[in-house]
Amino acid sequence: MSENNVMIRLRGISKDYGEGDARVEVLKGLDLEVNKGEMLAIVGPSGVGKSTLLHLVGLLDRANGGLVELDGQDTDALNGSERARLRNKMLGFVFQHHHLLDELDARDNVALPMRIAGRPATQARQEAEALLDTVGLSARLTHFPDQLSGGEQQRVAVARALVMRPQLLLADEPTGNLDRAASDGVFRLIRDLHTEESLTSVIVTHNEEMAGQCDRVFKLAPAGELSGYV
Amino acid sequence: MTLRAEFHLARRYLIGLRRRTNVATVTLISLVGLGLGVVALVVTLALLEGFQSSIRRDLVEHSMHAQVRPASGRVLDEVNQLASLLHSSLPDVEIVRSLRGNCLVASTVDAVPALLVGRSDVESVMADQVLAARLGIGATGAVDVISPRQRLTPLGPVPVRARVDVKEVGVTEPGAEGGVLRVPLEVAQRILWGSAQVEALDLKDLSAPWRLGDRVRRVLEGRDGVVVLGMDELNRPLLLALALERILIFVAVGLILVVAALNLLCNVAMVAAEKRRDLAVLTSLGLEPVRVRRLFLLLGLGIGAAGAIGGAAVGVATAWILDATGALPLPRGVFVVSSVPFSVDPMMVAKVVGLALILSAVASWLPSRVVARREPAEGLRYE
Repeated sequence: MSENNVMIRLRGISKDYGEGDARVEVLKGLDLEVNKGEMLAIVGPSGVGKSTLLHLVGLLDRANGGLVELDGQDTDALNGSERARLRNKMLGFVFQHHHLLDELDARDNVALPMRIAGRPATQARQEAEALLDTVGLSARLTHFPDQLSGGEQQRVAVARALVMRPQLLLADEPTGNLDRAASDGVFRLIRDLHTEESLTSVIVTHNEEMAGQCDRVFKLAPAGELSGYV
Repeated sequence: MTLRAEFHLARRYLIGLRRRTNVATVTLISLVGLGLGVVALVVTLALLEGFQSSIRRDLVEHSMHAQVRPASGRVLDEVNQLASLLHSSLPDVEIVRSLRGNCLVASTVDAVPALLVGRSDVESVMADQVLAARLGIGATGAVDVISPRQRLTPLGPVPVRARVDVKEVGVTEPGAEGGVLRVPLEVAQRILWGSAQVEALDLKDLSAPWRLGDRVRRVLEGRDGVVVLGMDELNRPLLLALALERILIFVAVGLILVVAALNLLCNVAMVAAEKRRDLAVLTSLGLEPVRVRRLFLLLGLGIGAAGAIGGAAVGVATAWILDATGALPLPRGVFVVSSVPFSVDPMMVAKVVGLALILSAVASWLPSRVVARREPAEGLRYE
């Protein structure tokens, strides 16, 4: 695989929390590569560090050691503002809890990354409406999060993650709080958009069936044990 | 650099407060606290300005607006020439020759030290209220004026003494501590100096009293042997006392605003704690740390501006109503005015609102710094 076909490269990543006796080592010497256009599932038991790994890839946290490269760029040297701008431009997040802002309606929630990027409100709203139409929520534009079902909330979250046309979609158990039907719907939506938008996607999941539909599966083992592709 | 996203979010957060009872209640308390602080400051300063305005009005009405004095000694030379020059250059200005000196004034009741003022525009003797009260002379009466100047008699040196009839009791000049006896210039010259000399030219111009000193200085520019004092110099102790009073009251009552700002700080910190997850989400979507700080600054300023502007409006209205209706009467004879005067100085209101906004900004800046330093994952991890 050529160098410029790699979207995510992690080398020797280690991450721990706490200090002294309370110190917990979550990741140790982890290597991972995700190719452009690939959909990778990360699986593993609870507490093994799947979300932590995703946060490191998504520049939401800093590793204690190792290298995080996104599209060939070493992110370690970036300061807080540069990391934020990179997240806004390049990354889209879907969390287990929808994490929509209660004070904004569906359209404004989806438009938020564009507003943060400094795009005009009108343009941001038009893009948001188009994406909400794509995810089947054109009738819910002015509904607030507490007026939407769990599946609808997660669809809005997916639309928000994709409104900036990111290269990389990171999803942390996106269907973890949904029933079977809603879960299937949301995952299908992510998979379709992954293909349509030529995304690189990393999905943390406990759902083996869902993981099985991804291009590759990375099994994360507790720190000190061997993690790898299955 | 755009602020639109931060404005948008701050506005939505403030509107959305209605839906979160606890935070909304604390926010309302912060807002009302800040507003009440501004009301207190505006009303207090309006009261102070009202009293000080009446003192300044009194000062303009009853005292000279500029004075030409000898640069050294007490005798003003070439008085007529100076008076002619000033009269021709400043025809609208009233010019009076004057002489002042301390003396002892005695009635049948008491003898008290007083300032003897001789003026060329005075025809009858007038004692001010303070002196008249001390001498117990009522509206009129004869008093003896005893000068520090002595004359030699067969019995040895004795103080020069003259009897004058007080025809009028006048208002005490602002800033005059002891009693004042105002007499025709010739009487004062006879009692104090024994010669027809003048100590100063007193000038008055009601159309622009505070600028008269500068106008006279320009006319007498380059002339040796005289100094010109304007209203600021003539009344320096009184004006300094008024300015000091204003500053001390501003600082003392302004402490209410500091307390209100501390309350606002707690409120913003509470919003920051409650919005920990939202802030993590916003930073994950690309909001830079500096913009997170700005968002909180706008939140605090939004609450502060609402409290400050509302408080200023209520304060100005209260002061206006109290002044217009004379709702707080004052006893006659003790004060010059009949009711407590209130005068709103727009510049002072602007300063109070500015102070409230600065304190709000500082109060919201402190928690925003803590929030902006967090890695986004922290907020997401604790969800």
